[in-house]
Amino acid sequence: MKKAALWLALGAVAFLAALWAAPQAEGLWSALFPEVSRPAYVQESWFVLLGSHLALSLGAALLAAMLGIPAGIAATRSSGRALRPVVDAAFTLAQSVPPVAVIALALPLLGFGAAPTLLALVLYGALPLLRATVTGIESVPAQITEAARGLGLSPWQRLTRVELPLARPVLLAGLRVAVTLSVATTAVGAVAGARCLGTPIIIGLTNANPSYVLQGALFTAWLALLLDRALSLLAGPQSSP
Amino acid sequence: MIRFEDVSQRYGEVQAVRGVTFGVPSGVLCVLLGESGSGKSTLLRMVNRLIEPSGGRVLLQGQDVAGIDPQILRRGIGYVIQSVGLFPHRSVAENVATVPRLLGWDAARIAARVDKLLAMVGLEPGEYRARRPATLSGGQAQRVGLARALAADPPVLLMDEPFSALDPATRRGLQAELRRIHANMGKTILLVTHDVEEALALADRIAVMEAGRLVAEGPPLAVLGWETPASVRRMLGAETLAFHRLSALRAEDFALPGFAPGAPLLAAGGTMRDALLLMLTHGTDRAALAGEAARHLPLSAILAAP
Repeated sequence: MKKAALWLALGAVAFLAALWAAPQAEGLWSALFPEVSRPAYVQESWFVLLGSHLALSLGAALLAAMLGIPAGIAATRSSGRALRPVVDAAFTLAQSVPPVAVIALALPLLGFGAAPTLLALVLYGALPLLRATVTGIESVPAQITEAARGLGLSPWQRLTRVELPLARPVLLAGLRVAVTLSVATTAVGAVAGARCLGTPIIIGLTNANPSYVLQGALFTAWLALLLDRALSLLAGPQSSP
Repeated sequence: MIRFEDVSQRYGEVQAVRGVTFGVPSGVLCVLLGESGSGKSTLLRMVNRLIEPSGGRVLLQGQDVAGIDPQILRRGIGYVIQSVGLFPHRSVAENVATVPRLLGWDAARIAARVDKLLAMVGLEPGEYRARRPATLSGGQAQRVGLARALAADPPVLLMDEPFSALDPATRRGLQAELRRIHANMGKTILLVTHDVEEALALADRIAVMEAGRLVAEGPPLAVLGWETPASVRRMLGAETLAFHRLSALRAEDFALPGFAPGAPLLAAGGTMRDALLLMLTHGTDRAALAGEAARHLPLSAILAAP
């Protein structure tokens, strides 16, 4: 546990150091892409891109959680059973439309920038959280909820004191998937002009500069992996009984 | 204390309970005996409104339970189930403290109560208080389940096949424990089981259910008597009914004064069944009774038992 946290911290430091070094590493990039005239991405600070990338993806994950978790709770209430197929279908539809298509469809309504990206990410991330909430709550053994009912816990107390604490490992696993997905997918937002680690990828693609594409892709993937590790570390201790 | 008045329950086409009427007097341990699907559990769960009757009413201390808020009602009734249902994310002490905490007791009172109850169900508080349910054996878990049900000192205890999942030795131990607790605390207990032996070991009164109907009700001897309807006899096992009757009779009630030289000694509190088995084992026609006065039980007394 301690050791894993240390490795994670080292990984984060290495990531930040790489972000700082990238604009200066002209030699490295030109060695990889000798035909590109200006291989180092220097238009914007990587740290600014990182900041807005994180704000966008974590904000979207938060909104997705605010949507998916309550929907999952509602779908597992006895009064919400009838709603269950509808909720499931709506969220599945939301996830089956690729984020790029959502952005394209939302552009006329929301304009360029962060808004269409946020919409796409929220729609994309809500389903894993809904599924995780439903799976987690349904994994609570029936005899435990029966005992809770028989002891006189109100529906709200059963939810907050029994169902959610017992669903927690599954819920955290779902949250981890949603955040990782969101961080990795945010790069697509660059298509709509949202500033993020995907911006160098789009600029590189439109200007035939594979060096920019590589740097954007590298840092996006690196960030997603780091966050995945961080979240698994957070979820780890609670998942063991 | 508990009274069922013409209670029925129907699930779609299935009539689970049909017009059941009977009462459990205060302080009595009443066993609801029947095969699975006889409606006994359904009847039990109507008392704390886990199931609402589709006809008739259930009275608790003269009050229709349908008029009591279910949460308030359940906090005032102990409830023990076969699968125990301890909360795995809470310690033993926290599990036992569930209802007192819901009732808003202060921490010191809860802690004292938890220790008292753990000791009462035979678990050393210092050793078990902080344990997680996953570390308990089946018998220990059900002891905690019993302590949890008794935590807020409810006058009524509902037990749904509480010992059925346990191995025979553990089951007998917990039955003895329950009898002792019942004798000390005077709770009104309604206990569901399909096990005739368990019913005889525990019951002050037995109510026999078959296909949703109450087919016999009364003290064990009356229910197991020769005048019992054929259907009840069949259900209880006609060939073993005689033994079950003997289990319900205490040997000392039939003993004669005087020594019985060479006869095997029956332990104190032994039943007529124990005495018969003892005679069979030793090939004698009489057994001596433990106690101060010299008493013995001849085989003829067993044969003549009502």
